[in-house]
Amino acid sequence: MMWGVMLILSLIFTDVVESTRLSPPGKPKLTGCRSPEKETFTCWWEPGPDGGLPTSYSLYYRKENSDTVHECPDYHTAGKNSCFFNKNDTSIWVNYNITVVATNALGRNVSDPVDVDVVYIVQPHMPENVTVVVQEVDGNDPSLLVRWEPPRKADTRSGWITLVYELRVKLEKEEKWEEHFAGQQKQFNIFSPHSGEVYMVQVRCKPDHGFWSEWSSTSYVTVPDYINRERSMWIL
Amino acid sequence: LCLASQGYAVGLGDMLERASQLSDKLHSLSTSLTNDLDTHFPPMGKILMPRPSMCHTASLQTPHDKDQALRVPESELLSIARALLLSWNDPLLLLASEAPTLSHPQNGAIYSKTRELQDQSNSLSSGLDRLIHKIGSSSKALSPLPLQGGDLGSDKNSRLINFYFLLSCFRRDSHKIDNFLKLLRCRAAKQDRC
Repeated sequence: MMWGVMLILSLIFTDVVESTRLSPPGKPKLTGCRSPEKETFTCWWEPGPDGGLPTSYSLYYRKENSDTVHECPDYHTAGKNSCFFNKNDTSIWVNYNITVVATNALGRNVSDPVDVDVVYIVQPHMPENVTVVVQEVDGNDPSLLVRWEPPRKADTRSGWITLVYELRVKLEKEEKWEEHFAGQQKQFNIFSPHSGEVYMVQVRCKPDHGFWSEWSSTSYVTVPDYINRERSMWIL
Repeated sequence: LCLASQGYAVGLGDMLERASQLSDKLHSLSTSLTNDLDTHFPPMGKILMPRPSMCHTASLQTPHDKDQALRVPESELLSIARALLLSWNDPLLLLASEAPTLSHPQNGAIYSKTRELQDQSNSLSSGLDRLIHKIGSSSKALSPLPLQGGDLGSDKNSRLINFYFLLSCFRRDSHKIDNFLKLLRCRAAKQDRC
């Protein structure tokens, strides 16, 4: 008797669990697209609930002026839940209508479509090879010379993309950053730094029409203790 | 001869520098106008809006990626930029005349920015004429395209939607113009500046 009840209960229980757990996938959501150099771009999505079953995701796109629907050319290069469009698959001044479809054994679900023109999603990678050196010219206080290079993939030389730069500087012991706009220049002078202190410097870049990159990783520089040095010279 | 050719290079570089400053401003203004309109735009507006392929300049053949753009000779790239810009003479006039009565709380700011667009566009177009005079016109010179239909519609919602649509077309075209001029600027500067 007892076993019979247990069996029935457990059957009902599994049934309930199974029926609530297994379902068609939830709606995936396209979360954003980014082009670092106006030559390629990547879009990312967030999967919805998987309905308790193995679920696969496919991204489809249709370009303005065409009825052909294409599937994502490359799901791997940009990592999980992403689609990478290489040079050959990237046009600018053309809208891409993009959707993501989630599919499992019980059905499928389609994301809301997103319209993307690569021109409006340009956000470069951070500047590279940021260096800071102390420059000492006889008779003057030392200054800091910050230099950097544009992100490798951005073709600034042909003028296809134009970048402007901003740097921020902070005394290691303090909280507040001080920002400086450098325009299209790839170097910047900081005059009369505090004697004997450590400075932190970061640089970021922005295309003429687009979004700021992330800040570069911090470069450190130690300013020589020039005030004490001068004073000791004076005492001598 | 050497001096003369140097003089030519400096002149051209400066003219292209000035032209790309204007085109940069033109595109930034169109973006700022779009943001103004976005603050109060009917939610269904963007769904009802015509597709970008309906823009009156959509049939002008222009490069669609860097490799294509870099292959186009200077005079032709300039001619494309000019044809695009001239195609906007009348539509910009229409935008400026419609802006003051647009059903939008920011229509004052929108009006003054559309007037500014017109002024900048006029300066740029005389600059482009001088550049074409200097570089030489292309054998493949393109003709500007006219806007079909001279008004934005009768009810206040369709006027707002068509205003936005025209502006979004201009925004794309002004980006093209700016991008092409900046390519030319770098070619003229022999990559020193870029």
